Amino acid sequence: MRRITYIVLMALLCAVMAPGTALAQVDWKQLQGTEVRFLMNKHPFTTFIEPKVAEFEKLTGIKVVMEVFPEDQYRNKRTIELNAGGKLDGYMIMPGQDELYYWKAGWLQPMDDYIKDPKLTEAAWDPKDFFASFTKAATVEGKQIGVVINSETSLLAYRKDLFDRFKVKVPATMKELQETAKFFYGKEVDGKKMVGITLRGKAAAATSQWVDFLYSFGGSWTNAQGKSNIAAPGSIAAFAFYGDLLKNYGPEGGSMLHWAESTSSFMEGKAAMIYDANVFKSLYENPKESKVAGKVGYAVIPAGPAGSVPHVSNWSLSINKNSPAERQKAAWLFIQWATNKQNSLAAMLVGVPAGRASAWNSAAYKAGDKQPDWTANSLKSFEMGQPQWNPPVINVPEIRDIVGQVIVDAIQGKDVEASAKKAAELMDKKMEK
Amino acid sequence: MSHTLSAISRFVDRRQALVYPAPAVIVLFLIVVLPIAFNLYLAFTKWTVGLAQPRFIGLDNFLELITDERVWNGVKVMVYFSGLSLCLELALGLFIALYFNREFRGSEAVQAIYIFPFAATPVAVALIWRVMLNPEIGVLNYLLRSIGLPGSLWVSSEHTAVLSLVMVDVWKWTPMITLIVLAGLKSLPPDPYEAARIDGANALQIFWYITLPLIRPVLIAALMLRSLDNLKEFDMIYTITQGGPGIASETLYLYSYQVGFGFFKAGYGSALMVAVFMIVLVFNVVMNRMRLSALER
Repeated sequence: MRRITYIVLMALLCAVMAPGTALAQVDWKQLQGTEVRFLMNKHPFTTFIEPKVAEFEKLTGIKVVMEVFPEDQYRNKRTIELNAGGKLDGYMIMPGQDELYYWKAGWLQPMDDYIKDPKLTEAAWDPKDFFASFTKAATVEGKQIGVVINSETSLLAYRKDLFDRFKVKVPATMKELQETAKFFYGKEVDGKKMVGITLRGKAAAATSQWVDFLYSFGGSWTNAQGKSNIAAPGSIAAFAFYGDLLKNYGPEGGSMLHWAESTSSFMEGKAAMIYDANVFKSLYENPKESKVAGKVGYAVIPAGPAGSVPHVSNWSLSINKNSPAERQKAAWLFIQWATNKQNSLAAMLVGVPAGRASAWNSAAYKAGDKQPDWTANSLKSFEMGQPQWNPPVINVPEIRDIVGQVIVDAIQGKDVEASAKKAAELMDKKMEK
Repeated sequence: MSHTLSAISRFVDRRQALVYPAPAVIVLFLIVVLPIAFNLYLAFTKWTVGLAQPRFIGLDNFLELITDERVWNGVKVMVYFSGLSLCLELALGLFIALYFNREFRGSEAVQAIYIFPFAATPVAVALIWRVMLNPEIGVLNYLLRSIGLPGSLWVSSEHTAVLSLVMVDVWKWTPMITLIVLAGLKSLPPDPYEAARIDGANALQIFWYITLPLIRPVLIAALMLRSLDNLKEFDMIYTITQGGPGIASETLYLYSYQVGFGFFKAGYGSALMVAVFMIVLVFNVVMNRMRLSALER
């Protein structure tokens, strides 16, 4: 009897487990001996994942070769290599910047089949855990072409200490933003003359922060007919507001400020506020580099006539469509592993904003979070955010140059309306879809 | 075996003129002629890297080029930048060479220090200038303000961006002109000078009627050498302004780089490079004519 019970129990156990093992078990060794090559941007995520690659190689027997380049060279090299058709299996991409171009060029492998395949993807990978807005941003024509590794939005960062000292309220509207910038501009603080706010002003580079003003003022890149909308009243208001803000209350030489110049101005303690990517928190709060570490508060973009409309952007890992099937699968295993829950949390804990809600909401992250207002406002911004931080075209850099010129004109005090109209005409001529 | 070898050596002997330069000719063909020919071919095609294959479109790129405002801006910046910097470099280079062309204490040390700007790596120097030209934290404005003058926006203003770049170019390249002119001055025959002095000519007259005519071919050669580099100045401008603010300091050369490697429009970018090439070519043909006629005189 006892033996029968035992056998029955074992049989039952097997019956319960068998389908589970058959379905949910990914054989991580299935592509042992394969070598994949990834092209990576020099980015905090890369710094985080590079030393961990050995772990993956041990788990799978797949060799991962990673080549890392600084961002400007990286974009060039990636495009040229993909076009040349050399051995390249996976790469980092900002979908909002290059996705349409790369999709049209046939360099992006859809991942949906891998994600659905239980032999290739563990159930625990849980695609629903990624913030929906980012997965949507990495989707073209209904196909997912990337997995988010770095989730970004922009936040208004301000000097908490000065706002307390001068009893200034955190601006909630664009009008208040301007008043606050004006209040601080030229003020002597601890023997230093302050500027009210610092922003990017350098043409194309400025467009990706200016876009939040564009949408908050009710403008947009294109209208319902797909024509340029940057000369619409809301868009012109956004150009004028942004240009005036930087010209009147910002650092000198606003039209040459890239993010590096703008953030260093804030980190030097010269600016009361900055509007730029939320990920620069790691710069502001680094006491070795920044004089304002521990003194910074964070808020979502103040509301304009059309509300607060920040953008969300992200870096993703993608697979080269022209790489052979075996290596594509191996690349997928790597991407899956690099973005699993454990690694996402580990990245989050060293300051890389992961794409998974579970990492952001984990007790481990919250326990060590020194800037809870940054976390809360970033999450808020993710929810409010729109993914169109670039014009919806193939030739993004060309159109960004055209729009960026209007920002420069606004900062240099030229006729914004005339400049916007001229740029809109040129944009209509040059847009490729 | 020995038969083959002697056959080879006989072949080499008979065709020395073909055989010896062959390796160099083949390498040059691969790295110079082929890319230029390919560039010329691309200039007549529409091709965005990755999007389909190059498609022959005849002269369309050149027609687009004529109506492209950014091209004309690029030509304007190029003429402004090159014209001003070449003139200043030539004038300053000549006068400094005249100054150096005499014995004075420590002249060797001064000359050694003087050539430092053009001996230094262009990008490294440009990075330093970029910081020095920063209106907020740059040392130039600090110095201006410390003697009671207002600061300038330097490269951050559309009005002064090109002028600031000219300043850096003049600082960097005047020494090269000086060196060339100095070598020319040292090789001038002493007789006309002695004759002039006996006839009672003053220093200005000697310079105007003797030195300048004698040195003219050297000056034109220096100008040609310098203009080849100057007309395609890239690293310094790219490092300091990337053509900004907006496109205020974007030369045609920088724009063609942006079209080719920023927009990846290889066809149109190649057409722009052909345009740059034509400008440099015409300029140099004219200069060479001037040099030859100066030599004949």
